[in-house]
Amino acid sequence: MSNTEQRRSFLKVGSIAAAFALATERLHNHAHAQTPSASGDAASAADSTPDADYDGFSRFKPSRGNDPDSDYYLGKLVPGFRKPAEGPAPFEAPDVPKLPYKMDNGVKIFELVPMAVQQEFHPGVKMNVYGFNESMPGPTIEVTQGDRVRIVVTNELPEDTFVHWHGFELPVQYDGAATLTQNPIKPGQTMVFEFDIHEEGTFFYHSHVAMQEAFGQVGWFIVQPKKIFDPPVDRDFGLIFQNFHIPPTHTVSDSWAMDWNWHTINGKSGPYTTPLVCKHGERVRVRLLNFSPMQHHPIHLHGHTFWVTGHEGARIPKTAWVPRNNELVGVAQSSSFEFIANNPGDWIFHCHMIHHMMNHMVRQVGPRIRDDASVDQYLTNLRSRPPVDASHQESFATPGYPQKMQGMEMSEDFMQAIWNRKEVRGMRANYAMAVKGLMTVVRVLPEDLYDLVMHSDQQVEKGAVFAEIVRRFGDPGAYQAAPKMKM
Amino acid sequence: MKSHSEAMRSPIGRTFIPPPPVPSPPYGVQGLDPSGPLFPEERIHGGDFPAAPAPVYVDGDRVPDTFAMEAEVQGYDLSDFLTLAARNNPTIRQARLQISAQTAKALQAGLYPNPTINYIGEQIGVDVEGDKDSPGEFQGMTVRQRFVTAGKLKLSREKYMRRAHVSEHLAMAQQFRVCNDVRIHFFRALAAREKVQLRKELLKAAEDGAVTARELYNLGQATRPAVRKSSIALQRARLDVLTAENHYRESFRRLVAIVGVDLTDGLVSGDLMPEGEPISYREAVSLVLSESPELAAARAKLAADRVTVRREQVEWIPDIVAEGGAGYNFEAKETTAAAGVSIELPIFDRNQGTIRQAQLDLRRQQEEIRRTELMLQQEMANIYQQYLTALQIASEYDRVIIPEAKLAYQELLQSYKANRVDWPTVLDAQVEYFDSRLTRVQYLEQVRTNEVLIRGYLLHGGLMAAPGPTPPGHIDAVAKPR
Ligand SMILES: [Cu+2]
Repeated sequence: MSNTEQRRSFLKVGSIAAAFALATERLHNHAHAQTPSASGDAASAADSTPDADYDGFSRFKPSRGNDPDSDYYLGKLVPGFRKPAEGPAPFEAPDVPKLPYKMDNGVKIFELVPMAVQQEFHPGVKMNVYGFNESMPGPTIEVTQGDRVRIVVTNELPEDTFVHWHGFELPVQYDGAATLTQNPIKPGQTMVFEFDIHEEGTFFYHSHVAMQEAFGQVGWFIVQPKKIFDPPVDRDFGLIFQNFHIPPTHTVSDSWAMDWNWHTINGKSGPYTTPLVCKHGERVRVRLLNFSPMQHHPIHLHGHTFWVTGHEGARIPKTAWVPRNNELVGVAQSSSFEFIANNPGDWIFHCHMIHHMMNHMVRQVGPRIRDDASVDQYLTNLRSRPPVDASHQESFATPGYPQKMQGMEMSEDFMQAIWNRKEVRGMRANYAMAVKGLMTVVRVLPEDLYDLVMHSDQQVEKGAVFAEIVRRFGDPGAYQAAPKMKM
Repeated sequence: MKSHSEAMRSPIGRTFIPPPPVPSPPYGVQGLDPSGPLFPEERIHGGDFPAAPAPVYVDGDRVPDTFAMEAEVQGYDLSDFLTLAARNNPTIRQARLQISAQTAKALQAGLYPNPTINYIGEQIGVDVEGDKDSPGEFQGMTVRQRFVTAGKLKLSREKYMRRAHVSEHLAMAQQFRVCNDVRIHFFRALAAREKVQLRKELLKAAEDGAVTARELYNLGQATRPAVRKSSIALQRARLDVLTAENHYRESFRRLVAIVGVDLTDGLVSGDLMPEGEPISYREAVSLVLSESPELAAARAKLAADRVTVRREQVEWIPDIVAEGGAGYNFEAKETTAAAGVSIELPIFDRNQGTIRQAQLDLRRQQEEIRRTELMLQQEMANIYQQYLTALQIASEYDRVIIPEAKLAYQELLQSYKANRVDWPTVLDAQVEYFDSRLTRVQYLEQVRTNEVLIRGYLLHGGLMAAPGPTPPGHIDAVAKPR
């Protein structure tokens, strides 16, 4: 992006932001003027709002609070903007559909179909796994504590299956723990599970055939509490982390493998994972389920310190909440992260296991690291290969070089699919190079920018929203935009 | 203890050492400039062939001269070599000369015996009237002529004319020997050339392997011994190229030796792929049994042997030797005449032994025809098996194995481009693809050489002297051929 272009896009974003400023003030009645205006000074705007400050902790700027024992330390009990009377914030698992239900005499009836699916991990990269109702992970079942559910499971797999309702204290015959408790659901057959739900919290369902689990068969089963959890959150995101081993040239996941080379969040692999977009100052919950066959995931959020407020099974009493930057989520465990989004920007949210930070890592040898060599030369004439170019750069004198992945190519189609999603609008032009494997992005946007990204039809230049955040909250003089990529 | 402590001080694995260097090429690799001539120091000029044979004349006709070579001939196809061989291979001329020699022998065998002139002086010095010595009772000249009976000369000539006919078949066989050998060595040279190209591809892959091993080494992903292994593989690939080059030179030199010219430079050009339909075993056997020049020669020899028997059967019939002349009788003092006739009486020697020998030779030749047929069938069984096996293997390499290897290589390249597979895996597939093409060439060479033998009546050995019409043990050792 040239300087002129940058300036032009700043101006555009600036004017849009100004247009939204009024609406912003009206929306946030209990935190009015909390969102810094496009031209204003972020710090002073936030400081001037009483509701913005909780015992030294600010909803609008990075801060910790005055006392670790305070209820508001690191935003621990700082409420979201949502009123408890509005009920719980809707649960949102990006890229995963919600399973609809029908009511019958006070029973919520869900129809769940175990089946083989093609899941698009990357644009155009359709992997063969098992899931439910055309989706992997399966669609989200969301109910309220106290509901009675009837789940009609029709097996469209070519083999027997079982479905287990993970974490529920239900009558044993409906537990789905394979033939310990029931006969298999044969291909084409239907089995009905009906039980009352007295629990609240984060649950999930999955096949109880080991390899079917490894092959992707899992889905959320969220139970909203009758009494809304305190403090209320504005966002309730759900992310399912999974590992697969898919050989080169292949699309079928080898569930027997003990090593993994493809990683998905809600069935997508970075940079195709959909960012979690929230507004500056909101209270955000992310429920994260690790449904990898063998690997644990230490999950790290940048720019914020979060509270671990729950695991699968139950919410944690506040006295036991733990503030962290990195939470280890074991296999079949789920952690709830809650934080006040007080630091605007695009923040990476990722597994910190090095080998999970990108897909199918390959050794950095061959044409990709050689001067003047390209794979296309080889592909053009298969019968006669080009002579090897053994000339290496001087950097080769460094033992261990290269550690950074070289010669990564992303096709035009790929980039188009990445940028076609509203959630990424205005991110830096090179963001896709940074988000790999088990990585996604938490975008904390001032309200006007949030509306621009999520609700407007405006053309937003790559990098414009990010640059605007730098302009408002950072050090624009020291900022360099991403080089424009040919895409 | 000292060596132990020195071993303890070895820096291997204790401090970074650059990877072992790539070995220098073996002797001869530098000369392998693919764009240069095969023998740069021996480039030929004009039509100058120092070892061109002297002109040969038969019956006053000059046997065609050596092929006048253009200076700038680069690639020769099969028909070029066949033309050259037809003109220059000495055994073809030998075979033609042998026909002429048999014809000459037939001429000689049918020549009528010459008359003999005798001077006769009888009783020289006998006393006559007056008791004085006389010049002799009779002095004069006679002429003696052997009259050959029973058509012996005609039979002798027929016998050798039939042997000349045998020589014609043998000359045909020789021509096939030469042409087949030209074809066989042409296809060998062609295959050798393709093998050189593929060995060079494999060398590039080995060079890549050596580079890749060093790249892996720098990443801590290959051990020092693994890097050394890549050097070994590289050097072996280089030696394979040298071997293939040497083999090509040999093939080309053998080819031009059969062709009979001193070509030192040039390339063979053509296609190793057979063009026609595959031959069935039935076709192959019936072809060789019905059209083999060797069998034709054996049958012609049988006809010659029949005449030999007839010839020997008349041998005992005595020739008539008549003599007559005139002289002067000094006693009677007048001119007188003399006459005489002699006939050998076949009392003891009626040529029984030779007749028997000729009859046995005839029967031997009948067995010889059968023996030849069986020998050809036995050889065909072997050649056909080699042909069929090679054809089956080459066809499947063409139809399935090479396309599969190519696709595997291509898919892995695409996968490498998509960052999903390691380069060493791609290299393995590349080597397998090149190697499968090498195997195809090896089997196509066998297909073509065996096909030549099958279609060419199993004849080969184009530089062995053309055989004569008579096998050992035949009646031939007489002053006048009969
Ligand atoms: Cu991980």
